[in-house]
Amino acid sequence: MRRPRIVVRDLTKTFHDGGREVAAVQDVSVEIRDQEFVAIVGPSGCGKSTILNMIGGLVTPTAGSVAIDGARVDGSVPSQVGYVFQKDTVFPWRTVAANIALGLEYRGVPRAAAQRRVRDAVALAGLAGFEDAFPATLSGGMRQRVALMRTLVVEPQILLMDEPFGALDTHTKITLHAELLTLWEARHQTVVFVTHDLSEAITLADRIVVMSRRPGRIKLVHEVALARPRDVIKLRETDEYAREYGAIWRVLGEEFAGPA
Amino acid sequence: MSERARVILWRLVIFVALVGAWEWLTGVKAISRTPGLYWLDPFFVSRPSLIVQRFVYLASDQVRLSIWQMALSTVQSTLWGFVVGVSTGFVAGLVLGRNDRLARIFEPYIVAFNSLPRIALVPLITMIFGFGLLAKIVLAWTIVFFIVFFNTFQGARSVDADLIHSARFLGGSDRQIMRTVIVPSALAWTFASLTPSISFALIGVVVGEFLGGESGGGLGYLIIQSLGTLNAADMMVALISLGVIGIVMALGIKQIEMRLLRWRPEYRRRA
Repeated sequence: MRRPRIVVRDLTKTFHDGGREVAAVQDVSVEIRDQEFVAIVGPSGCGKSTILNMIGGLVTPTAGSVAIDGARVDGSVPSQVGYVFQKDTVFPWRTVAANIALGLEYRGVPRAAAQRRVRDAVALAGLAGFEDAFPATLSGGMRQRVALMRTLVVEPQILLMDEPFGALDTHTKITLHAELLTLWEARHQTVVFVTHDLSEAITLADRIVVMSRRPGRIKLVHEVALARPRDVIKLRETDEYAREYGAIWRVLGEEFAGPA
Repeated sequence: MSERARVILWRLVIFVALVGAWEWLTGVKAISRTPGLYWLDPFFVSRPSLIVQRFVYLASDQVRLSIWQMALSTVQSTLWGFVVGVSTGFVAGLVLGRNDRLARIFEPYIVAFNSLPRIALVPLITMIFGFGLLAKIVLAWTIVFFIVFFNTFQGARSVDADLIHSARFLGGSDRQIMRTVIVPSALAWTFASLTPSISFALIGVVVGEFLGGESGGGLGYLIIQSLGTLNAADMMVALISLGVIGIVMALGIKQIEMRLLRWRPEYRRRA
């Protein structure tokens, strides 16, 4: 078995809400191994994004700890981590190429090398011809591609993704699933992918962590027994996919029953 | 005829009708032979033909201080007040916008100073900075500074937290994030305040010139001088020149703003 890269232990987060303490995440423990693609699914408000933010160092846990490669994450952003947000975080005043180049610029990569890497990334994302376009002229799917390439171009070993395709239509979403899987097959980053969409989780992940309603606890950890590489479209017609879906839905569905 | 041509034609028609009526009504006597009783008294509103005459005279080298020199002085002070006001307002807005404690400390002072009618400061500014160019610039600055300050302050505060987080994950240091995320975000707000700023700078300068006397020069001085000599034609020359200057400067700033904000969809469509 591969070495663990992200170790989450007894993670708890409570928020103050008008003097009342509200637990968003309760006693979550999980180990994510090197090169593993893990999806966290659960109903909205179950704290799955909060878990991701604690792994990324954006939110400080109330109790428990997160360690990445053995080093405790403590209120700062770990350098080997890339993060893709659900919200559009492409910089509107930078062109596509300048957006993708940003991380390289920050890291002081020499100009020529940076330009070459940006060009490759643009080609890889199917954005050729749009290098000098401003984000406002692009579709939501293209903007999210820019955000993804901007993160990948600095070659993070760990990728945290917070419902990155949540705002996209089904067709664009599936296209981007295929692209993400191709990119991932090439580099095998360690991925934590938060979503409320179970089909998305099954399509992409090696392992699925199912969360309960608030306060979010782990209900089930499920290994996805689907061979790779996966064909994101044909996959959905297979019996194996249906079996996986059924197995998780039996557990996840309980969380949707009853008062929301 | 295209819609655009139609609009321009109507504008021309209205212009000609108004100027024509002005010229005609100030030439017809309301009661015949009674001196001084016109439909529109040219003593107060002058006459287009007279204004043109005075303009030609004021633009010639027969006068000690030509209209060109006065216009230049006004434009110069306005631009200086604008530049100084925008840059200081921007820096102050950025610093206080990103530092909550400083913002809380300075808030009452800023609110108090901004509530003060700036015109009330004119005599004091004149006392300190004299009657020349400097006083006018300072006056324009006190107005422009606050417009730009409040806009930039708001802009610096409302920088999307996720943009900053994204930059941090891409490896940006505090300095780099300031330069690549916070400044550009705030600038979008600052730019939106540039067009009103140039107009207010001009107001400040003209008010300064009212008091500044001849050494300050400028079109505001021409207005006050015309009041002294009860010369409506000269006053109209000054007013029309100020109008033209105001429009040209505002259009120029608008051009710069559109160029700098071309990444914004609302500017693209028009460009």
